[in-house]
Amino acid sequence: MLTISAIKKVLPHRYPMLLVDRVDELVPGERLVAVKAITCNEPWYQDLAEDAGDEEHAYPQTLLIESWCQAAGVLAAWDKPNPDVMSGQVMLFGSISDVVLHRPVLPGEVLQHRVRLVRALSDTVIFEGECLSDGETVMEVGRVVMAMRPAEELTGALPAAPAPVGAGAH
Amino acid sequence: MAPLAAGPVRAFPEISSEPGAPLRTTVQVHADERVFPGHYPGFPIFPGVCVVEQVRRSALATVPADAGKVIVRAIESTRFLSPVFPGDRLTVELTWSPRGEAWRCEAVAATERGRAATVRLRLVAAPEPSTSAEPHGTAPVAVDGPSTQERKAPC
Repeated sequence: MLTISAIKKVLPHRYPMLLVDRVDELVPGERLVAVKAITCNEPWYQDLAEDAGDEEHAYPQTLLIESWCQAAGVLAAWDKPNPDVMSGQVMLFGSISDVVLHRPVLPGEVLQHRVRLVRALSDTVIFEGECLSDGETVMEVGRVVMAMRPAEELTGALPAAPAPVGAGAH
Repeated sequence: MAPLAAGPVRAFPEISSEPGAPLRTTVQVHADERVFPGHYPGFPIFPGVCVVEQVRRSALATVPADAGKVIVRAIESTRFLSPVFPGDRLTVELTWSPRGEAWRCEAVAATERGRAATVRLRLVAAPEPSTSAEPHGTAPVAVDGPSTQERKAPC
């Protein structure tokens, strides 16, 4: 099991964008099971109207995807951790496809991300899997492609120093 | 103004296309968005999923009249082409097409430097609103307010 401090040694994400709480199972190069607990203390709920209902409290779909992808990132970077996006090799999103969102997720739910590594090339890793809440699938992830790239592709892409890049950051 | 749903980004896209012209929205990427301190410390990059979020909001703001109220059921594909930074202005161009019972919304998000992402969403009719507080209902509920409502950036 990896606790949050171990996750922070692998991922560069920090509050409020560190969206994986714990890793329960990790088979390097193969699969990972991670936990994300949804709480209404996350800042996304701060501006909601006082009379907001459950619909308005649905966890943002795009952050659910981000959370799953961060779990995949732990599996991808486990054997070569680099929590610094300014140097070395950094993990970038290439593409995401066939993500099906089955139902909204609410504060109080404890999510289980199941990540399977489909294929690993020299600098590209492909994942699939799903997200469960209390055994029920709330999201399916068909295919996520991540690429390891030199950090200069990001730092060099800053508007002050335009440069061609291949992928966006996750 | 309080937002209609929880979301990772405070700024909301506004429709910037003329009636009859191809659909387009624009939205500023403000440097004080909440995601930046953690993504990443010392090197703020607008998260790829937040680009998708602005596409999703743009889609929900431009739903075809005959689609009624819809929700996002699937992200069929997203390709990330270049990073987005604080201070950028995102422009989203959208194309809607019916797909049987569902709708497809294809979008290109771009900054001043070129295309940032291409996104294809599948949207389906929103179920009737439920008055139940039961959080484990199997039917999805809408995550946004009425699609016809005009959005304004709350910040």
